[in-house]
Amino acid sequence: MTEDHAGKPSHLRLSGGVFTLSVLRLESLDPAQLESQLKTPENALRFLRNAPIVLDLLQLPDQPLPLRPWMDILRAAGCFPVGVRNASVAQEEAAAAMGLPHLRGRELEPARQETPGGAPASMAPNEVQEGGSTGPGQILRHPMRSGQRHYARNKDLVCLAAVNAGAEVLADGHLHVYAPLRGRALAGVMGEERSRIFCASLEAELVAIAGIYAMPDPDHPLWGKPAEIALQGEQLRIMPLGT
Amino acid sequence: MAKIVVVTSGKGGVGKTTTSAAFASGLAMRGYRTAVIDFDVGLRNLDLVMGCERRVVYDFINVIQGEARLQQALIRDRMLDKLFILPTSQTRDKEALTAEGVARVMDELHGEFDYVICDSPAGIETGALRALYHADEAIVVTNPEVSSVRDSDRILGILAARSRRAEEGKEPVREHLLLTRYAPRRVQGGEMLSLDDVKELLRIPLLGVIPESETILQASNQGIPAIHMKGSEVATAYEDVVARFLGEEKPLRFVQPEKPGFLKRLFGG
Ligand SMILES: Nc1ncnc2c1ncn2[C@@H]1O[C@H](COP(=O)(O)OP(=O)(O)O)[C@@H](O)[C@H]1O
Ligand SMILES: [Mg+2]
Repeated sequence: MTEDHAGKPSHLRLSGGVFTLSVLRLESLDPAQLESQLKTPENALRFLRNAPIVLDLLQLPDQPLPLRPWMDILRAAGCFPVGVRNASVAQEEAAAAMGLPHLRGRELEPARQETPGGAPASMAPNEVQEGGSTGPGQILRHPMRSGQRHYARNKDLVCLAAVNAGAEVLADGHLHVYAPLRGRALAGVMGEERSRIFCASLEAELVAIAGIYAMPDPDHPLWGKPAEIALQGEQLRIMPLGT
Repeated sequence: MAKIVVVTSGKGGVGKTTTSAAFASGLAMRGYRTAVIDFDVGLRNLDLVMGCERRVVYDFINVIQGEARLQQALIRDRMLDKLFILPTSQTRDKEALTAEGVARVMDELHGEFDYVICDSPAGIETGALRALYHADEAIVVTNPEVSSVRDSDRILGILAARSRRAEEGKEPVREHLLLTRYAPRRVQGGEMLSLDDVKELLRIPLLGVIPESETILQASNQGIPAIHMKGSEVATAYEDVVARFLGEEKPLRFVQPEKPGFLKRLFGG
């Protein structure tokens, strides 16, 4: 990473970026509880495989906490803790010693329609539902704008207007976006691997199916074009729509 | 019955106050009884841009807290007798903008004016939320750069979710895009987003484009809303904005670089 293609040393370039991260709220001081929860097949972190997550310590008593066991469990589950929030001073120091910065993020703005309170990143047991899509799917007619999030639980989600950068749409079933998809799109959130994403113009920050995610970049041959995204084995396949 | 218009953006320094002053003046020139309110508690810029800072005795916060009547706080504009300014306080903080207090002032203005223009502070916190809450229409001021567009998008989401119209399930707030500080030459050089880029990203109707211009600085230093700088590009652009807002058709101006460069003349456009 210190040389570019031509073999010349490259310059260090610093730029800013806004990222949406999943937040895991720790609710007990006992790492074993999290571990046993993660062992159940329908654990809510399944779809966060390879995803960066932030640990929220709000619910925990204000006492120093050994973070190492938490980190080990989460890494074993395939998640990457990248920071903490709502930490006390002592917790903040412990986190810093582990290389976890204290982040000061804000909750995502709820979208206009039905929005699940905790969203799937919380470990609350009521987030885990029986699989199987029911009903005709949900239709969103208004644009999804930066900071908004919409989750169609147990169904498909059909977006008729743009999903803009910084917005997030999630569905347990398929996701259809008949407009530019510029934000984050997560289909099969509860692990349905046959879920797919369809969009009129692929410009997404992130696409994920059943927890396997990709961050397409503007060099992608289908960037700005109609695309269909499916999970094949352990990989996402992005193909032209209608093939 | 007044129509309430919020001038908002998410991002700071994009031209909200400049626009509020020019737009309110433009409506008053057309004969509409217009009030313009500064919601940027703690900064207090509007009275400077409108050139009435020395006449401020009572302000918006005094009225909200019952320390003065609305009539005592409204300042009549120097140049336009249909235009009134409700300045804000420099010494209080934004928590002084209580929801009930703002609602009461809005109610009172409602019967007296044709248009109430709310100059929003930057950000998405209390001040900005109060400024947009009562809006019937929103002018979303955006500069041709990615961060400004992103913040405008965010504010549009908030308008759709947190305005009074949204809460009461009424027809949504009417959205207008105003692209300001537009420098066609820099767009051509790829340093700035183009008008088409911004329209494509935000997808709301365009109310106008205000060019980047020195005139704005001169005007605000003199305390004269830019629309009074007769014959200047910015004054013309703001006049067009007012006309379009009132439903008139106006072709877009100042979106092309002024003179084609040497190479362009040589090889064609
Ligand atoms: N079209 C323009 N051309 C040049 N400068 C401008 C323009 N519009 C605004 N400005 C300048 O930008 C700065 C911020 O403008 P202001 O209206 O106070 O923004 P806001 O209220 O959004 O913070 C001021 O110095 C103003 O003079
Ligand atoms: Mg301002």
